[in-house]
Amino acid sequence: MSSDVKAATMGVPASADAWYGHKGNLYALAIVGLVTLGSVWSLAQDLRWVYLLVYIWFGIGYGIFLQYGRFCMASAVRDLFAVRVPRMAVGMLIAVMLFSLTAAAVQVLGVNTFHPNAMGWHILVGAAIFGFGIVFTGGCASGSLYKSGEGNIGAMLVVLSISFSQAIYVTMDGGWLNKLIPASWTASAAAKGMPEELSVTQGWFDQFTAGYVWDLQGSQLSNHFESVFSGAFLGNALLGAILPSLLLMIVLYQTAYRKGYLRRYKITAPGLGDHLRGIWSMVTASRNTAIAGLALGVLAGGHMWATGALREHYEIFNFGELLVDMGHTAGLSIQDTVFDPGYWYITTQEAQWGAWLLDKAGMQMTDSIYFGLDNGIPNPLINAPGWMSIGIILGAALIALVRREFKWKVPSLETAMFALIGGALMGLGARIAMGCNIGAFFATVTNGDMSGWVFLAGMAVGGWLGVKGFNAWMNWRAGDDLAI
Amino acid sequence: MWWFGGHRQQRVSALSRVDRAVILDAGPLRVQVCIDCLGAVCPRPQLLTLRALDQMVDGEVLELLVDNASSAEAIPAMGMTLGSTHLATVRGTDGWRIYVRKGYVENEG
Repeated sequence: MSSDVKAATMGVPASADAWYGHKGNLYALAIVGLVTLGSVWSLAQDLRWVYLLVYIWFGIGYGIFLQYGRFCMASAVRDLFAVRVPRMAVGMLIAVMLFSLTAAAVQVLGVNTFHPNAMGWHILVGAAIFGFGIVFTGGCASGSLYKSGEGNIGAMLVVLSISFSQAIYVTMDGGWLNKLIPASWTASAAAKGMPEELSVTQGWFDQFTAGYVWDLQGSQLSNHFESVFSGAFLGNALLGAILPSLLLMIVLYQTAYRKGYLRRYKITAPGLGDHLRGIWSMVTASRNTAIAGLALGVLAGGHMWATGALREHYEIFNFGELLVDMGHTAGLSIQDTVFDPGYWYITTQEAQWGAWLLDKAGMQMTDSIYFGLDNGIPNPLINAPGWMSIGIILGAALIALVRREFKWKVPSLETAMFALIGGALMGLGARIAMGCNIGAFFATVTNGDMSGWVFLAGMAVGGWLGVKGFNAWMNWRAGDDLAI
Repeated sequence: MWWFGGHRQQRVSALSRVDRAVILDAGPLRVQVCIDCLGAVCPRPQLLTLRALDQMVDGEVLELLVDNASSAEAIPAMGMTLGSTHLATVRGTDGWRIYVRKGYVENEG
């Protein structure tokens, strides 16, 4: 059977109907229509909402290509260890290379919104916990959003769990995590002279942030270059992203692809040319993910550019200032700021959703650095990055409907439990590592911040342990039933 | 909400040995092993496929039922590493049926 037939059967079933004859297309059109209407309505209220609309429309774009390329960091790491398939990992690396180029271009234009993460051991530890969690949830932070858009209720439970678990971790005053905090962090946090209402010496996350992370340095490779152009393209893109990605691809070929490829084509004495053809075959096997990676790279660069340009236009550093001007002061931090990364980010806005609801339920949320000083807990209706996440879900739903892949999928009890527990682990890992696979890896390595590769290493370790654990669980649950 | 899917709970194992013929575009095919992964997300379909292939002999065919798009795409890509041949992926109303033969077969894949 030719590969063309396979490709055709995987995609949209042939249909004689006109495009509007299918419900999926109509629902997809309805999504676009509703978001357009909402955008026009909000602009009619106040033109400055355009800042928020940039997030939602770029979110829709991310969602479309995430679903198209099945862009899931969980499968990249997990499939490699579980079934030795490097396909998604290769696609991810291609995406990294392409995004690093658009990010460099945006940096040269001078509107790059990226902030480097603090480099330290916490990234390795947090990423490992995150990597362990994603094996059990079946999707990473971005993966669970696009899968929610496909109608996967298990993935929605993951999003729910990430939201509430993060909100609880970062505001928790007691608990076992407090016991892990060394006295030096408490002393260092106290010495920062933070406002009293933040109670920085209570709660593990405040002490971790102020007493440990704030004392660390973060940097971009471009800092070591004289000129902006060579810093962005040579430093950040070539040295920071492209060369490490190529190196990892050779490692992937060597460990996961070479043997099968040579056996498949009966090559007994491979030369350099055979290996190069093998690597190319590995790359083309990841075509959809690579195309999605290209589009996501362009979008993510365009997003940074658009937000950067709007900040210049309104002469602001943070969306909070615009909200104050428009008369929305509820839910801002004590510095009148809100979470506003200006680039692709997933987990922090989810934490804000959870915190907003818990705050409404009467829990004390704002006595923390995370919400009280930095990110605020704005109403989800005016939470700009939050709308980006909703946009991702809508964009994924849109293309899933068009490709006839939308289906309400009710999880089994086991899948639901894994979603909640795994999601809680992902939330914990993301907070310790100060980001998820997007904010702490994808947007990071592509901007010359080497802490992202540390995150990947941690995630790989966690993913490997997760696969071991998942296999053990499957054996225990099923026992001899797995024999056929 | 999972109680709707409760009937699936009873079947811990989704692997079963069958012997039946299916008709594909390319012609008839005998299937020896069936894996039902409807409702399951990654990595379960991939891992169960791996388990099944380990226990099959060269030339046998397995049929995998999935409704998770990313799993459906991951299975053909596994061939190169697992020494198996992806025969066909058939799109149905409730998901995909994927046919994989253990071992490499000339003029296929």
